[in-house]
Amino acid sequence: MDLIPALQMKKVSKKFPGTMAVDNVDFEVYPGEVHALVGENGAGKSTLMKMLAGSFNDYTGQIYIDGKEVKLYSPAIAKANGIAMIYQELSLARPLTIAENVLVGRLPVRNKWFLDKKALIEETKACLKSVELDYLDPFTPVEEISQHEAQLVEIAKALGNNPRILVMDEPTSALSREEVERLFKIIGKLKQQGLAIVYISHHLTEIFQVADRVSVMRDGRKVGTLNITDVTQEELIEMMVGRSISQVNNAADRILGEVVLEVKNLSRYGFFHHISFCVRAGEILGIAGLAGAGRSELGRAISGVDPVDAGEIILAGRKIKVKNMAQALQYGIAYLTEDRKTQGLALRLTVEENLLAPLIPRHCKGFIYQKQIGTGIVKKLIDDLHISPPDPSRIVGNLSGGNQQKVLLGKWLATGPRVLILDEPTRGVDIGAKVTIHTAIEKLAAQGVAVILISSDIPELVRLSDRVLIMRKGHLLGEIPGKACTEEAVLLAINSEGEIAHAS
Amino acid sequence: MDKMNKKFFQVINNYRIYFLCSLVFIAMAIFVPNFLTVYNLTNILKGMSLNVMVAIGFTIVMICKELDLSIGTTLTLGAMFVIGFQPALGWGWSLLIAVLAGALVGLANGFLVARAKIDSFIVTLGTMTTVQGIIFLYGKGYALNATDFTVADWLETPIIPFLPPRVLITIVLVLLFQVLLARTRYGRGFYMVGANRETAWLAGLNTEGYVIVAFILSGITAALGGALFAMSLSSATPTIGTSSLMIVVAATIIGGTSMAGGKGSILGSAVAVLTLTILYNGLTNLGAGYEIQILASGLVLAMVVLYEAYALYRADKVKGQRPELLKEVRMLQEGSKGS
Amino acid sequence: MLVKSERIELNKRRTKTAGWIEKFGVYIMILVLLILGTLISNKFLTIDNLANVVHAVALLGIVAVGVTFVTYSGHFADMSVPGIIALSGMVAVDMLRYGLVVSLASGLVTGLMVGLINAFVVGKLRANPIIWTLAVAFVINGVVRWLYRGEQIYPDLKAGEKLATAFVNLARINIGGAVPITVVVFLVMVIIGQLLLTKTKFGVQLKLIGSSYEVARMTGVNVTGMVGLAFILSALAASIGGILLTSLVKIGAYYNGVGYDFRAVTAIVLGGVSLAGGKGNMIGVLGGVVVIGLLNNILTLLGVGTFSQTIVQGLVFILVVWFNTYSLRKLGKADG
Repeated sequence: MDLIPALQMKKVSKKFPGTMAVDNVDFEVYPGEVHALVGENGAGKSTLMKMLAGSFNDYTGQIYIDGKEVKLYSPAIAKANGIAMIYQELSLARPLTIAENVLVGRLPVRNKWFLDKKALIEETKACLKSVELDYLDPFTPVEEISQHEAQLVEIAKALGNNPRILVMDEPTSALSREEVERLFKIIGKLKQQGLAIVYISHHLTEIFQVADRVSVMRDGRKVGTLNITDVTQEELIEMMVGRSISQVNNAADRILGEVVLEVKNLSRYGFFHHISFCVRAGEILGIAGLAGAGRSELGRAISGVDPVDAGEIILAGRKIKVKNMAQALQYGIAYLTEDRKTQGLALRLTVEENLLAPLIPRHCKGFIYQKQIGTGIVKKLIDDLHISPPDPSRIVGNLSGGNQQKVLLGKWLATGPRVLILDEPTRGVDIGAKVTIHTAIEKLAAQGVAVILISSDIPELVRLSDRVLIMRKGHLLGEIPGKACTEEAVLLAINSEGEIAHAS
Repeated sequence: MDKMNKKFFQVINNYRIYFLCSLVFIAMAIFVPNFLTVYNLTNILKGMSLNVMVAIGFTIVMICKELDLSIGTTLTLGAMFVIGFQPALGWGWSLLIAVLAGALVGLANGFLVARAKIDSFIVTLGTMTTVQGIIFLYGKGYALNATDFTVADWLETPIIPFLPPRVLITIVLVLLFQVLLARTRYGRGFYMVGANRETAWLAGLNTEGYVIVAFILSGITAALGGALFAMSLSSATPTIGTSSLMIVVAATIIGGTSMAGGKGSILGSAVAVLTLTILYNGLTNLGAGYEIQILASGLVLAMVVLYEAYALYRADKVKGQRPELLKEVRMLQEGSKGS
Repeated sequence: MLVKSERIELNKRRTKTAGWIEKFGVYIMILVLLILGTLISNKFLTIDNLANVVHAVALLGIVAVGVTFVTYSGHFADMSVPGIIALSGMVAVDMLRYGLVVSLASGLVTGLMVGLINAFVVGKLRANPIIWTLAVAFVINGVVRWLYRGEQIYPDLKAGEKLATAFVNLARINIGGAVPITVVVFLVMVIIGQLLLTKTKFGVQLKLIGSSYEVARMTGVNVTGMVGLAFILSALAASIGGILLTSLVKIGAYYNGVGYDFRAVTAIVLGGVSLAGGKGNMIGVLGGVVVIGLLNNILTLLGVGTFSQTIVQGLVFILVVWFNTYSLRKLGKADG
């Protein structure tokens, strides 16, 4: 390839307080190429992408577009240089029409002032056609179309700017299989038109389908760039996690006790249907599935956050009704949310206040809250989880992501749960914190707690779990027992119609 | 069938204010004697003018997902200034001063909200009080009177049936801002800023500028509305705008402008003010006093807030549902019914 | 490594300074105002004058203590307090003919009812607290004018000379012959409020809610109940204020309580309670109320009229909020 790269980044770095989010990364994409970017959560992919979007004005290193150096210090500059972004979290204005969203910032006008309705319709239709959505009325508000249509509208919006470089961050997370196929066809077409595409995804199978080359990131650095034909999934995963994937699964040594929690035919209509499983004392039960498979919703329903429409929850042989989270906590069922920043931790409060938050009712004598009861617990948790700095009066928002996540875990450990549901317990944390959290989870199981582990981090699932349940589109498809549980098996099961052993 | 129904209700909901207005009008025409007279209808149009004008700016601010509690005192400020400066400077200059004063209040609000990043509720609560103080200081707490009454007569005498100049000016402004907001690129920018500020910023819109302009427009329309109203009375009192805040907030929300931003229309707000004015007029003709007006608009506002809150509460419940799973549930239920 | 630890140290010191200013800034303001007042007039630093200052703002303080719960819970303010003040005062006067106890009880029950409605709509249905309480204020205003045909009502006409005297004298009781009852009620409420906020389950959970509503909900806190309780307490405090105000001015009227909403919020913000929620305490609010009193007193001594005082209050309010927001953002602590 003696072409000039459409995009070239040379030794770019971006520092956040406490971490190098992107550390001396070289990266380039050629016209007509799909360059996949993979890496674990927190590896720096998103930061690299935000850099391209013009979100930072303080990155270091050089960025060249078509061989010319540019400084992407604002979204406007990035856009002017032909960079278009497609975000994982939709950046659409929901009350506004499709047309206005697609053509935001460049609405066609007549006489300098007035919107040109005809041109508005035509241009929107043209944009929508490129993603095969031309059956939609351009004047439909975005809040009235479905999630996957919105995702495609987002893509149409990006394409509408006639970009040279298209960056896609998990564009398939809300799409069904057929829709993914449709998207890939569109990507193929764009490739032929000479677009340079950066494709970020967790779904490795997709990457083998769509990418020409792949770059792997880990801890803010680039580990390597390879032709997709020269690499296997196993090798990619190994590069991503930085160690051989034939990890020791300690599950074999675990002694399982009685069934603690049993769920029978549990449904929350529209979110998950007819889920049945049980989990024993000392067991770590993994739940795998793609985004939108209904895993978090299941966890939330069991722990009383969301209502249940049908089915039973049986705790230690007794049928229980969980009306709200406070009640679940009394039963000893705790749920660690996947959304640390908005649902997990009160970022403006201290480590101590966060750790003791669920214990407030328990530490009350009559009307009076006895703060001092918690002091010992806080100290122990900070020590056990190596929370750093070990200062209970520190504001949580000023801690690093990994330490925040430890505080979040500590908050639920403090309640001494019988059943602990963990939803993405290591999302966006560094390797050190991850190891600490994994150790804590295993220790918890050894103490006889029943752990339900919901995770998109498949190596994590495989390493920790005794068995893994597979969920897809709100249904429980079955389970993979410990012995058969490999990353490949899980990946295959959540992505395709692969055969899996059925839960008894 | 289901889809038809849904579409039908959507249309009803989108145009609810126009249906409501017609309904109230018809009801009043039937039950209130002497309602359908030229005199009374002209009175209704005159009665709505002040609050319609104020609602224009307030609606723009709310579309931007902000709140302006200072409109009531700003309109009073406009009224006091236009009357206060008239004897010395004449109507032209005094009107200009009044409008500029309103613009200045708006600028202060906009700057504090957009640049200093203080919540608009707090900012406008503060400017509301400050302006209140200025009003009392300026008028020493008394009503002011103009020395020239010709303008009042001109403003209030219909030049076309039903339409005195003050009403005409109001209608023209409503149409102007309606077109500006609905049909121009800049106008649509307010909606984008209100619906998703991040997206608007990423698309290259000057989001701070939009917010500041929205508050300035709110200040200007409030002061202008107050000034014209005072001119038509040839006098101004320090309490002239007391009831406007409530009526305008109620009307804007009834008129379909969302507290969540990015939704609403000037015409909707104007028709909502008209609806409330018809309601007041009818109630007054039936012998109800001012207190019933306050009670009625308070209740209407409360109902609308409740409705919106309930709608959000419902929407939150079904957020993220998978349509194919819902289909499954429906099939199951139908199946059980069949057997 | 050294650089990093130095920065952390610096950050820590800055956070500490800011925390200190947040907590005690209002008392520095009081000190400055005291010095200023002494310099301006020799009548200022007398027991009589200072007692007057506190007496003048005690009613405001009573209302502010209630609203503080709402602000602390992250729901900005209870704009329905002016309505509650007027309504509970008028109901108390109206019920006076059945005796003083019935009168007082019905005044409080009135406040409680409004509080319950606010609690349900904001706590359960999550309506926008500002707009909703504003709507309630209007509805109450309409109801009061309607019920009493826009007129003022007099205790003696409603219940005769004897009961009227008892009611009117209520707010004129001096404890120990020196301290007005309004001041005593205010101080007692500050103490109870402070204990509620810092020492009880309600207060600690309210702090969590104020810091992050979603987090509190996902921690098993009964957010509906706690937020509701905050609004109920606010309404109750307003009705106590309303009864005392009505007793003080000797008439029940729909306009009693006008402006109390804004002045209460001013005192609360001056007192270091963050409008973002979860931060501040009643001792600060006490300070905020006193600052308003001192400010008005000094302005009066300077010969500045009531109208200009309003302007100064408005400007001080905006400046303080601006400073708060600015310093929080500098420290990277303001969210959003």
